Amino acid sequence: MAKTMIIAVGVVAVILVAAIAISFSPNSSEFDNTQNTTENEFETLIALGSETAPVTIIEIGDYQCEMCKRWFEKTRPEIIENYVDTGKANLVFIDLPFLGNDSITAAEATYCADDQGMYWDYHVKLYQLQQHVDDGWASQVRLQAIAFDLDLNMDKFNECMNSKKHYNTVNLKKQMAVIEFGADSTPSFIIINNVSMDKIKLSGAAPYSTFKEIIDPML
Amino acid sequence: MQNIFIIIFSNIYYILIAIGLFFLLFIPLIIISEFLFLEPFLVFSIYPETTLSFSLIVTLSFFSSLAVSMNIYRVKLIKETKKIGSSIVGTVIGASAGACSCGPIAFSVITTFGTAGSIASSFLTIYEIPIRLTSIGILGIVIFVTANSLSHECKVKL
Repeated sequence: MAKTMIIAVGVVAVILVAAIAISFSPNSSEFDNTQNTTENEFETLIALGSETAPVTIIEIGDYQCEMCKRWFEKTRPEIIENYVDTGKANLVFIDLPFLGNDSITAAEATYCADDQGMYWDYHVKLYQLQQHVDDGWASQVRLQAIAFDLDLNMDKFNECMNSKKHYNTVNLKKQMAVIEFGADSTPSFIIINNVSMDKIKLSGAAPYSTFKEIIDPML
Repeated sequence: MQNIFIIIFSNIYYILIAIGLFFLLFIPLIIISEFLFLEPFLVFSIYPETTLSFSLIVTLSFFSSLAVSMNIYRVKLIKETKKIGSSIVGTVIGASAGACSCGPIAFSVITTFGTAGSIASSFLTIYEIPIRLTSIGILGIVIFVTANSLSHECKVKL
């Protein structure tokens, strides 16, 4: 009995150590690396706020990530109010959909909404409605319901989703997040001083005070 | 039973072990759960909705440190390792819960193990609170049984 317990504890310990070791090892991503990120792709990023803002905040997130939702609810509103709405910073979102299958379709749906000029409205709705990973809250039907709720043209939206029009866009954003920005978790943030081009990377749903301490000296 | 705690923790060695074990578990858990940020500034952040999760981490760390240090005392006394195993199992289960939400551990597990990793990760995230409560329950039983057996084993037969 004691031997069995020791073996069980050993197995659990090995699994735990392996998981920690893997987490600190270089990313062995499954992402499609056939497409290379270029300068032009940075120009395709959808920014919220003034294009001439001195600071850019890049958020790397997954629509099914609960920490991203925590950041969305607790930190984002103050950033929007104090930096984005005042023209001091703009906010960019880069998809890193890794938590489940619905993460990818949810990200695709935002770009289908963007085709009708509603990217940020759809983005906000997704985080407001977020539930558990792949439990159906971001199924095709629910994504259509969100589009309908936002008064999008449903024929265009459905055609966009069914044809997987933005699958490559999402894939490209994933590559950008991992390769260009070295993201290995969500949410991650890159705060860029657009004048000096200095970059500061943040991992996790950091509170507003952290952003304030970083952004204020850049202004 | 109360006497057993006094006997064990009257020795500074066991108090230090308990404090060391507490922080060894507590610090990584609050970093993983994004209560404590080390970079670029040291920031501690807790919201009203996350108070329960934080309290469970404190309780889990406290119970683990108590259970393991009591069992170290027990091992020294009667060379019995069985209950140390139970307390480590309780600690590992509790620590795993919630550690796999969207952080680097989850990212590595999911990108390495694909769908299976994703299912395991979301299970540990969804049932974070019940899993931690179960672990605290396991650790509570371990502490009770250890204290009980120690109080019997330490009785001087006249």
